[in-house]
Amino acid sequence: MSNVMDRVNSTLGDRYADMNRLQFGLLAVALIALIIAPVWGGSYLRVLALGNIFAIFAMGWDIQSGYTGYISFGHAVLSGAAAYTSALILTHIAPDISVWAILPVAVLMSVIVGLLLAVPTLRLRGPYFSLITLVAGLLFYRGTRTASQYTGGEQGLLVGRLTFDPVLRFYITLVPMLLIAAALLYLSRSNIGTILIAIRENEAAVESAGIDATKFKIWSFVLSSIPMGIGGFLFAHFDGTVNPTDVVLIDRSVEMIAMAVMGGMGSILGPIAGAFLFVGLRDGILPAFLSGTERWLALWVVVLFVIVFARDGLFRKLWHRLGDDTEGDSE
Amino acid sequence: MTLLSVQNLTKKFGGLVAVNDVSFDVEEGEIAGLIGPNGSGKTTIFNCIMGIYKVTDGTISFKGSDITDASTHEVVNTGIARVTQESNPIGRMTVAENIRLFTLPNDILSITGGAETEEIEALAARVGIDDVLDELPGSLPHADVRRLEIAKAIATKPELLLLDEPFAGLNQAEIREMSDQIRQLRDDGVTIIIIDHNMRGLMQLVERIMVINNGDWLADDTPQAVAENEAVQQAYLAGTEVFE
Repeated sequence: MSNVMDRVNSTLGDRYADMNRLQFGLLAVALIALIIAPVWGGSYLRVLALGNIFAIFAMGWDIQSGYTGYISFGHAVLSGAAAYTSALILTHIAPDISVWAILPVAVLMSVIVGLLLAVPTLRLRGPYFSLITLVAGLLFYRGTRTASQYTGGEQGLLVGRLTFDPVLRFYITLVPMLLIAAALLYLSRSNIGTILIAIRENEAAVESAGIDATKFKIWSFVLSSIPMGIGGFLFAHFDGTVNPTDVVLIDRSVEMIAMAVMGGMGSILGPIAGAFLFVGLRDGILPAFLSGTERWLALWVVVLFVIVFARDGLFRKLWHRLGDDTEGDSE
Repeated sequence: MTLLSVQNLTKKFGGLVAVNDVSFDVEEGEIAGLIGPNGSGKTTIFNCIMGIYKVTDGTISFKGSDITDASTHEVVNTGIARVTQESNPIGRMTVAENIRLFTLPNDILSITGGAETEEIEALAARVGIDDVLDELPGSLPHADVRRLEIAKAIATKPELLLLDEPFAGLNQAEIREMSDQIRQLRDDGVTIIIIDHNMRGLMQLVERIMVINNGDWLADDTPQAVAENEAVQQAYLAGTEVFE
């Protein structure tokens, strides 16, 4: 396996921190486990498929909020835009159209909504940006009820599933998740990631470097909106219903943040781990012990503990611990 | 050739006039000092040039084109760089990465680009920090952090460099060394304006000194003539502070 690792390290080059054996092993085991999940997943395959979708959301949030430091509390608006676009087209405009044909339209709508949010707000500093994203989430949620003759109000719309085969459904979520992860990892380790991090650390320095910080902040929103749109579309057709509680309630936006922070924001890989941890606890592990309301309470207590005791994220902690081991200077 | 032209620049903050109808030109290849007591408006002039502050009145042009309302990154891309009074490197990036940031293209589609290792080493060598490229800024002595600020500024390939109190906090040996480096930059073709409280550090370095006091233009002459100027001495409490 070390042969493969050397090849990966040399192919990726020094823009990516060289992985050691343990770090490479962790990624390889996780990747293989996911690819062969139908073999071992059993009844948890549904949870893992949901984990894929939420990993897309958490990464989408991360490339914008985690990297630039402009924290969005309304990212469910972006995924919701795609989900409702798909639902409204199928319900009111073209019921017989192939569902996949809607995907590009749904993603485009996410990007448009993302730009509508980003262009006027990203010039603002401090809490105003976060507040506006929060209000956007509330507006969308209330709007689905106001326009209930089109949106079906609280009941939502039935949109149909992409497939009823659980194994196929798992792969339909896994493949986009891995492609998005690869694309975002590549971008985040490129000049673009460097500039987005610099915006978070010192926006004035970015301007002094001759770089238009506002342009790059808007770009981060576009880079975020595309995965959010793909994830929103997959989520809409996962169980086949699009309703405000599951799709745009403010809780959904906060969950995306919690996943990214638990894993380690500003790293792309961390939010993936955080998403599987969060969804795994919520839908896989906690339901075995606790009923509905207690389960949510326990989940948020866990989130609180992670944020207090592992501020930089559990996955990042683990990653650095593994990195320290071979160098023999563990902290 | 006139590189920078500031005409009738006025900057007010509410009722306070920080810079009052100031005009000056800087010629290509010049090395000039801009001095004045604390709060006299020196840094405000730099901030107006850099597009950090919106000017209240007047125009600023660079190489003949109007940059009065340009934003900071546009000003930088026309060829002006500024080293601020406070150092502000990014703490989690190494010295080399901090310099490299200042060479990245302003292009959202640019995945690669920016200075290669050798280029970064050369930039760092011009201010003598090529031996600490892999260090984090937090672990460097004060003088090296100031040098990093200059390396970042020259990484943008400026034709005009604005230095805001580059000698603050440095000891005599460090001031001499930095003066030599600044002179070398000028010899390499960079036009330079240096802000300082007083003239002592500037006397041997600059060919021209501009003096501002309470926002008003006081003098603009050779260092010798400025030192003997009575209005300047008055502004500096009868001359005690000018040579401090």
